Amino acid sequence: MSTLERLAVLADGAKYDVSCASSGVNKQNKGGIGNSKSFGICHTWSADGRCVSLLKLLLTNYCIYNCHYCINRNQNDIPRASFTPREVADLTIQFYRRNYIEGLFLSSGIERSPNHTMERIYQVLDILRHEYHFYGYIHVKVIPGADPALVNKTGLLADRMSINIEQPTEQSLKLLAPQKTLPVLFAPMNQINNQMTQNASERKIFRHVQKFVPAGQSTQMIVGASKDSDLSIIKATETLYNRFQLKRVYYSAYVPVNEGPNLPALSTSPPLLREHRLYQADWLLRFYSFKADEIVNEQSPFLDTDFDPKISWALRNMQLFPLEINQASYEELLRIPGVGVTSAQRIILQRRLGNISYNHLKKMGVVLKRAKYFITCQGCYYGGIPAESALVRQALAPVAKPVQLCLF
Amino acid sequence: MDYLYDGSFDGLLTSIYYSYYEQRAQGIYPEASYQFNMFTPSTVIQSDPVLAARVYDAIDRKISVYSLMQIYYVYLSNNTAKENLILKYLQLGFQLGPKIDSIHSHPEVLPIRQTAKKVSFEAERFLGLLRFTDTRSYLYSALEPDHNILILLADHFADRLAGERFIIHDKKRSLAIICNKKDWYLSDFSEEAAIPDSETEQLYQELWAKYFTRISIENRKNKKLQSHFIPQRYRHNLVEFRKSELL
Ligand code: SF4
Repeated sequence: MSTLERLAVLADGAKYDVSCASSGVNKQNKGGIGNSKSFGICHTWSADGRCVSLLKLLLTNYCIYNCHYCINRNQNDIPRASFTPREVADLTIQFYRRNYIEGLFLSSGIERSPNHTMERIYQVLDILRHEYHFYGYIHVKVIPGADPALVNKTGLLADRMSINIEQPTEQSLKLLAPQKTLPVLFAPMNQINNQMTQNASERKIFRHVQKFVPAGQSTQMIVGASKDSDLSIIKATETLYNRFQLKRVYYSAYVPVNEGPNLPALSTSPPLLREHRLYQADWLLRFYSFKADEIVNEQSPFLDTDFDPKISWALRNMQLFPLEINQASYEELLRIPGVGVTSAQRIILQRRLGNISYNHLKKMGVVLKRAKYFITCQGCYYGGIPAESALVRQALAPVAKPVQLCLF
Repeated sequence: MDYLYDGSFDGLLTSIYYSYYEQRAQGIYPEASYQFNMFTPSTVIQSDPVLAARVYDAIDRKISVYSLMQIYYVYLSNNTAKENLILKYLQLGFQLGPKIDSIHSHPEVLPIRQTAKKVSFEAERFLGLLRFTDTRSYLYSALEPDHNILILLADHFADRLAGERFIIHDKKRSLAIICNKKDWYLSDFSEEAAIPDSETEQLYQELWAKYFTRISIENRKNKKLQSHFIPQRYRHNLVEFRKSELL
């Protein structure tokens, strides 16, 4: 097969992975090629509207495993191909020089054995870092079951590592990825987390100690392949953030690629709105100090489709509103629908210089269409209807739009 | 009195100096595009680096570095009223001092913030959307940005491609960043670099275009969203759109 054909096959196999953002580290070029910017640079957008910043590739799509949801599973009859470590390294450098990409995101099917595959991934990094002196961003997938020593030496060359847990519960893993178990997935996560903490304290004493996975680790969960509720997913997310200090948990709306008794029918369309809501909920966990229980609970284990999770929460807690813009604390401001991190900060800053009027708010980026039911400004309420859950719910209800799913 | 300047940042700051110490400027305009009219007298300001530096330092000391940056970004914008936005902003800034940085919604401040944001947004966008072609002797990139952002790109690429020689060419303004292994300068530049496409260059362009089409997921297709991120006017300089006929 030509390079062109193999690239097609191996890009195809990698495209369902979402953790492709390159943000997280600032790194200067120290006499080679490349640097990294912490804000993350998008280089293009594919026809599905997703940002392309990294060369996302599989080293090989041969796999000895048989995860039901995966296009590359062993029992599928699909074109197979592999790259050599050098080919991947060359492709990365040549794409990088032309500014097509911000770095490499390398994943792989498990060929022969976890160790064999992990070793080859390491070789790619070895060539890029030591031969080409590449300072750009590299994210690699850890192969579950690989020797911790291999994971360790790869981690010293990578910016970010991830182990996809794919399913939020042990049951669905058993059902859909019979060769994987949570303990096997958690072991390297734990190892990386410990190593990172240890590395950080060593670096305080010895400045020359090499950085270990400076951009942290992330993971991905597939949404909609199993029957798991949003509650399970958000709970699992919270645990992952707390237990392993993950930088990000990504959600990927399941695109049916295989037939199977435990899988949704091939004709099912990917649950994009659900994915979108989960990202909004995740955002609340990471930046707005919400707890999982506040977002979903046993009584209603699925996120509201009509409202974003912050509005849903506010509607369930109307007794806390309206809040006075000129008095609410920063934490309280953040809980107002329509007020984001930036506008909350602007409010706090400008408040020091004088009272804020209702007119000011719009210019500060507050979305008054939503916020007006939840605030007073200099004592006045501008909602126009009583601040009661049912009424506000009605006022905020989305007008039925046929394009709902384009939200993402 | 209208002040006419040569279009340089120094010239603009010099005009502001005279507006403070000689006669207050009613408006400041680039000499090249000024529409003379019978009722407003005008005078041409010679740009003076020493006077410009004084205004520069004064902004830095009495207002803030942040304001200085913002003004520079506005100066790089394609906003035709930019000189006067800057003039009014500085008048307020010299009254209020650093406080001006927190009154985001003020009528003299908001347009500055919004314009500066557009410029920095476009500059950041081009950190990603710029494409180099390997001509064998150097890397070449052509772009046509809305704002005059070239200078905001230079350090980034000079660091990133430290060992390379490259040219980033703003075709709209006939300007280019020319970089020779880390040292760069901005220069007038109008030739469309003749690109002797090497075989490997063709190969990598094809590989990239192929990669680009394969990475998108059919069931999630969303062209509207894609156009939102990459407006049509940027596309003809992008290999992946040219080659995959998605222009
Ligand atoms: S191990 Fe990875 S590549 Fe192999 S079948 Fe499972 S998900 Fe697919």
